[in-house]
This record gives sequence, C-alpha cells and structure tokens, in this order.
Amino acid sequence: MIEPLLVDARGLAPPEPMELTLSALDDLVEGQELLLLLYREPFPLYGILQRNGYSHRAQTTPDGTVHIYIRRAS
Amino acid sequence: MQSMFEFEQAPPISVPYRFFLGGPLFAVAAGLLLAFGGVDVLASRWNPQLLAVVHLLTLGFMLQIMAGALLQVLPVAAGANVPRPLWLAAVTQVGLAGGAILLAIGFAAGSAWAFRLAIPLISVSVAIHVLFCGYALVRTQAQGATVLALRIAVPALVPTVVFGSLLASAFGWGQTLPMMELVSAHVAWGFLGWGLLLVMGVAYLVVPMFQLTPPYRPRLALLLPLLTLLFLAVWTGLDLFARGGGLRLALALMQVGVVATFAVATLVLQRQRRRKQADVSLRFWRTGMIVLLAVVFLAVAALFNTDPMIQDRLEVLMGVLLIIGVFMSLINGMLYKIVPFLNWLHLQRLISPVPNMKHMLGDKAMAGQFRVHMAALVCVALAVFLPSLTVPAGLLLAASGLWLEWNLASAVLLYRRLALGQNTPSAKAPVQPAGR
Repeated sequence: MIEPLLVDARGLAPPEPMELTLSALDDLVEGQELLLLLYREPFPLYGILQRNGYSHRAQTTPDGTVHIYIRRAS
Repeated sequence: MQSMFEFEQAPPISVPYRFFLGGPLFAVAAGLLLAFGGVDVLASRWNPQLLAVVHLLTLGFMLQIMAGALLQVLPVAAGANVPRPLWLAAVTQVGLAGGAILLAIGFAAGSAWAFRLAIPLISVSVAIHVLFCGYALVRTQAQGATVLALRIAVPALVPTVVFGSLLASAFGWGQTLPMMELVSAHVAWGFLGWGLLLVMGVAYLVVPMFQLTPPYRPRLALLLPLLTLLFLAVWTGLDLFARGGGLRLALALMQVGVVATFAVATLVLQRQRRRKQADVSLRFWRTGMIVLLAVVFLAVAALFNTDPMIQDRLEVLMGVLLIIGVFMSLINGMLYKIVPFLNWLHLQRLISPVPNMKHMLGDKAMAGQFRVHMAALVCVALAVFLPSLTVPAGLLLAASGLWLEWNLASAVLLYRRLALGQNTPSAKAPVQPAGR
C-alpha cells in the first residue's frame, strides 16, 4: 500500500487549491492516491477529474474538513 | 495537468456581469428618491415613497444581483449547471429590472397601471428563474448545508412573489384583501426565506473559501436553514388563519435565535481567519453580521413593545439596517471578491500571463466606496429619527451605489481591454499566481 500524496489546501484561497491539485496529479505513481483536504467539496475539480480519467470519493469529518481521495480510474 | 485548468461549468462572463452592473443603478435611483421624495419619506413604513425606495433596493438591487450571482454560484457550490444561461439571464434581468421600475412608479406616483403591468412581468421572470435553478438543484447529487440552504431559498421566491402579487393586485384593481397579514408573509418569505437563506448558503461556501476561516460546524449549518423553513411554514399558517398569541411569540423568538446564531458563528469564524489583514470585502461582511445582530436586538424589542409610535420607528429602523446595513453590505463584499476572481478565471482562456487578481479592482477605490456606504448607513438610520437628515442620507446612498457601479464597470472594462489584447500599464507587471 503506497502512502497517499497529500495536498492540504485548507486555508488557501482560490485558485491555489485547484492549481496545487492538478500539479500534484502529475506526480502520482502507479496505484497511488492523492488525498486533498478542503473545507468544501470542489465540484469544478470533479468535472475536470472525470473528463481526464480520474475517479474520486469524498468524506466529510465532524469538524467540516472534506477528505477527497483521487486516483486513476481503472 | 495545469492545462486542464478551466471551469467548463462556469456560465459565460456576461451572465453574472449584466446583473452586477444593473443592480447598483437601482441603489442610485433609490438614494435619489429618498433625497428628493420629501423630508417625510421615512415618516412611516407605509409611506408610498418609502415603499418605492424599498422595492428599488430589494427587487432592483438585491434580487437582481443575487439572481445573477446564483447562476455563477450553482456550478461551484453544487456542481449544478443551469440550462441556457444566456437566455435565462436576459429574461430574468428584464423582468426584475422592469418590475422594480414599475413597482417604484406604482408606489411613488400612485399608478394602478404600473402595478397591473408589474405583476405578470415579475411573476413570469421569477417563475422562470426558479424553474431553471430549481431544475439544477434537484438534479445535482451534491449534499451538504449550502445545497440544503439553496434548495429552500430558491423556491422561497415563489411565496414571496405570490404574496407580493396579491398585495400589488390590491393597488392595481382595488381589491379588498387582508393587507397586514399578506405584508407579514411577503416580508418573512422575502427577507428570511430567500434573502437570509441565500446569504447563509453562500456564506457556508465563501466565508471559509475567500476569508480563509475554519468551516461552519456541519450540524449547525444544516440546522439553521431547517429551523428557518419551519418558522416560515408555521408563521405563514398563523398569518393566513389569523391565529397567534403565545405560539407566534415563541416562533419569533426561535427565529431571532437562529439569525443571531448565524451572525455570531460567522463573526467567530472571521476572528479565527488565517490572514489577519482585513480587506474591504471582509469589512463589508463583518459590518453585515454586526448590523444583523443589531437587527436581532431591535426585533426582540419590537416583540415586547406595545407603543404604536415606537413600533413604527423600530420597524422603519430595522428595515433600513437590514436592507442597507446587512444585505447591501454583504452583496458589496461578495462582489468585491467575485468580480476580480471571474475576471482572472475567464482571462485564463484568453491570454497568458494573466495579471494578478488583486489588480482587477483597486483597493483604494473599494475602501473609498466602503466608507461612503458606511456613512450612508449611519445617515439613513439617523434620518429615521431626524427627518432633516433625509436629503444627505439619500445623496450618500446614491453616491455609494454610483461608486460601486464605477468600481465594477472599471473591472469589467479592464477585462475587455485585456481580453482584446490591449494591455494596460497597471495590469502588466504582476502576474500569477493569482490567489495571493
């Protein structure tokens, strides 16, 4: 199991979270997930991911942080 | 992957901008009518000149800009695309702007024809807007507090307009209707159902996103819109069936608590923000929340007051604070974040490098307009008790609207110049990243 690549974008103003995430996707190795932390669900990012062959799942924690796990769609 | 950076879901930039540039002109008109409608404009909440001013601000400024912003916010907040945005924007804006002008004429000039024309114009344009946005909100898989608040706020426009149309029909055709009960329901659905819940839903998204605060507590964020919906449903029932007494008071106190909780939660989050410097947008937001708390205190006072003279002054003051101090301040603050961001976002597709977002709208220009808006708020509030201040109060309100229009138009013109490849000295130097 490879450690997920972490992008903690909480406390960053738009468009930095999107820029950092798209940039980090280039660094993903085979089988690795990217874990994006945000205080909201990034719906515009979801559309981009879907069109470019990535899948995602999101979980919201009680403190309001959304964990978004992104990986290459198999 | 950076080349993928584009919001394909975002509507064309002209969709929100036509609403944003149209709205402030109605604040100018409202200010001028307040200034030159006579020194007794604020003498009673039932004064026709004051009702004209109120509808220029609520329908012409607030609803117009909020309706345009909603078309921009839905794809970001809910991943929900509104179909045919260019057509929808044109129809909605013509209906809302034309309706606001007709209602103002109807009230200020006592014209029955203006009311008769305003009813179908506003009803049809709002119905179309609600249907299109409602369709997007029903289809989306998105969950959470923002979507919940928007799912209540958007349909809340329907009872607002239905009760308003009934009232307008009384002026247009002289029908006898239970006016006080209809006004109570119209105001409750308009300010709380549409206005407050839209602000709440948008705040859940943009306060953490743009002001870099922690998020609202998820359970609290869900509870506040649900309690507001409960309040509206029961309150309207009591209005229409002329019931009240203790239940009415208990309901009102519950809703006062909901509003106060939202304002306090927002202020607490803003104190915990990562960036300690307070920009103009944040100052507008903070003002809006502090004034909202002031309205809460006045509302509690009004619930227990028995003197009709004091009651009328309290109600006019609450209206002034709510419209100019809360909603106009929050809308101002939002515009100063959204417009630079939209300029930057849409220029991504057209030019490279894109100037820094901070250079899309000048800090000094925004700060100057903020000060004029604060002066207008204080002056109009004082004019509720000192009628001699009505003229300067109206002029300050008009000046705030005009300066906002100027600032927004400057940003839009800068976008056009850059999009057409006519770079300007102020926009040349600083380039990406845009978020800092």
